[in-house]
Amino acid sequence: MIEVDIAKRLGGFRLRCQFTAGEELVALFGPSGAGKSLTLQCIAGLVKPDRGRIVIGEQVVFDAALGIDLPPQKRRVGYVFQHYALLPHLSVAENIGYGLHRLAPGERQEKVAQMVRLMRLEGLQSRRPLELSGGQQQRVAFARALTIGPALLLLDEPFSALDSAIRSKLRQELLQILSNLKITTLLVTHNLEEAYTLSGRMVVFDAGRVLQVGDRDEVLHRPACRAVARFTGAKNIFSGAVVRVAADRLEIEGEGLRVVAPRYERNVGDKVEFCIRPEHVMLLRPDRVESERVKENRLEGRIVREISHGSGATLFFKVAGLANGKDYDLQIEVPAHVYQKLDLAKRKDWAVSLKKGCVHVF
Amino acid sequence: MTELDLFPLYLSLRVAGLATAVSFVTGTLVAWALARLEFPGKSLIASLVMLPLVLPPTVLGYYLLVIIGRQGLLGRMLEQSFGYSLVFTWEAAVIASSVVSIPLLVRATQAAFEGVDRSLEDAARTLGRSELSILLTVTVPLAWRGILAGTALAFARALGEFGATLMVAGNIPGQTQTMPIAIYDAVQAGNTPLANLLVGVVTAAAVAILLVFDRLGRATKW
Repeated sequence: MIEVDIAKRLGGFRLRCQFTAGEELVALFGPSGAGKSLTLQCIAGLVKPDRGRIVIGEQVVFDAALGIDLPPQKRRVGYVFQHYALLPHLSVAENIGYGLHRLAPGERQEKVAQMVRLMRLEGLQSRRPLELSGGQQQRVAFARALTIGPALLLLDEPFSALDSAIRSKLRQELLQILSNLKITTLLVTHNLEEAYTLSGRMVVFDAGRVLQVGDRDEVLHRPACRAVARFTGAKNIFSGAVVRVAADRLEIEGEGLRVVAPRYERNVGDKVEFCIRPEHVMLLRPDRVESERVKENRLEGRIVREISHGSGATLFFKVAGLANGKDYDLQIEVPAHVYQKLDLAKRKDWAVSLKKGCVHVF
Repeated sequence: MTELDLFPLYLSLRVAGLATAVSFVTGTLVAWALARLEFPGKSLIASLVMLPLVLPPTVLGYYLLVIIGRQGLLGRMLEQSFGYSLVFTWEAAVIASSVVSIPLLVRATQAAFEGVDRSLEDAARTLGRSELSILLTVTVPLAWRGILAGTALAFARALGEFGATLMVAGNIPGQTQTMPIAIYDAVQAGNTPLANLLVGVVTAAAVAILLVFDRLGRATKW
């Protein structure tokens, strides 16, 4: 378990963050320079916050008001650095055993051997880190961090140094190892896919602040503000105002669109923003009878541009009769098989539906 | 042909060796502090340490006389307490050589320490290692080439020290006459064989040091 509530000024940068995590993997997600790594350094005791409090497990490791500031040596935090920070002049075995200096040599060897087996590093014990592949280096870094029996595991962009081909494989391996260990883990990443696949909950950072803390699906589908919507790839984000409030719905007008959204606690005239994810925009087949639900936010228009990315395509859709100066109004994501089936290569004029349930207002 | 007196060679090696030892201990500590610590007056200290590099040796010698001379701050104290005078002894030559060689050692060593990735030291901290242990098992092993190069430079500089040494240690044959001073003396006295020999020795030492330097300068491969 960890509780963080800290403030830190570093030059012109201000960090202010608060969140808690239990025995789970929580992703600290946000763009580069948002303060995620600095947060990890504060937790590990490598950087001293100006104010606040950090509790790891049951132990208060930092409390500015009480004057508590345990050195990193006493925090029992396993830290996997962005570029692994393996000691280049030591062998794999020496690196893994580096934190076991208090144990007798025999015990140390046994623990290292155990960790070598767990991380499948057999036969590499006497190699130097620079003689290993990126994936092997990563496993050594994990092994070294885990040997000290940490109360908390911090992972700073552990996959950024690897090429995409092995990334997803290593993610799966990591998930498996961590699920057996049951240890509170904080993962810093700027990669949405990584944050979503690995974590249960996400803490979204931007410019030194925490914008949202929540379940990964909540963050993805119910972003707290425009920045979170943008970071999580909502793509279709609009500003507008509430024009009507009904028992089960809001009606919103903005940027030339009039849409029906689920009922949020808003009043007529309130300025709001709303978004719909590109994969939730539905293309309506002309040969099918349209149900009441899809008719709610039905828009006609034309696909003006598209980008194919192998497994699917991104369509750029211009709503007919909307003179707002934008060259497209919606981004739509379709899987390859849908693209084929709907013959999207030839047919460009479509009606789409922004299903009410998929429209999020914030 | 006059007899060759090898005392200056012996004295110079002794003085340069001791001076290098003194600069190594103080210089490495100063370099480490400048590379890794933040403290008030840091830039002032950094400049002061470098001062002997830009001051003319005679100016430096004068300052040293002010400090360790019979009327100097430290000099008077030594004379009154122990009846001992540093000026015009070979020990004074060690002090002069140390002061001129420290900046070279600090520069090379500080750069070497700064070249060690801080995240390696941070990693060691999270793994529970003490600061001293980190210095000895991470920082120094990764910086040793730079430290050694700085030490070689310091030794070369100490071996060739002339101006400040002449001012504080004088030119007493058989007592404080180091090699560079003996060369000067030999040339003045027209003793060409001695001048040739001493110049040859100094040149050989310089070439040897440059060769060591070149080897250390090559990219580190672990």
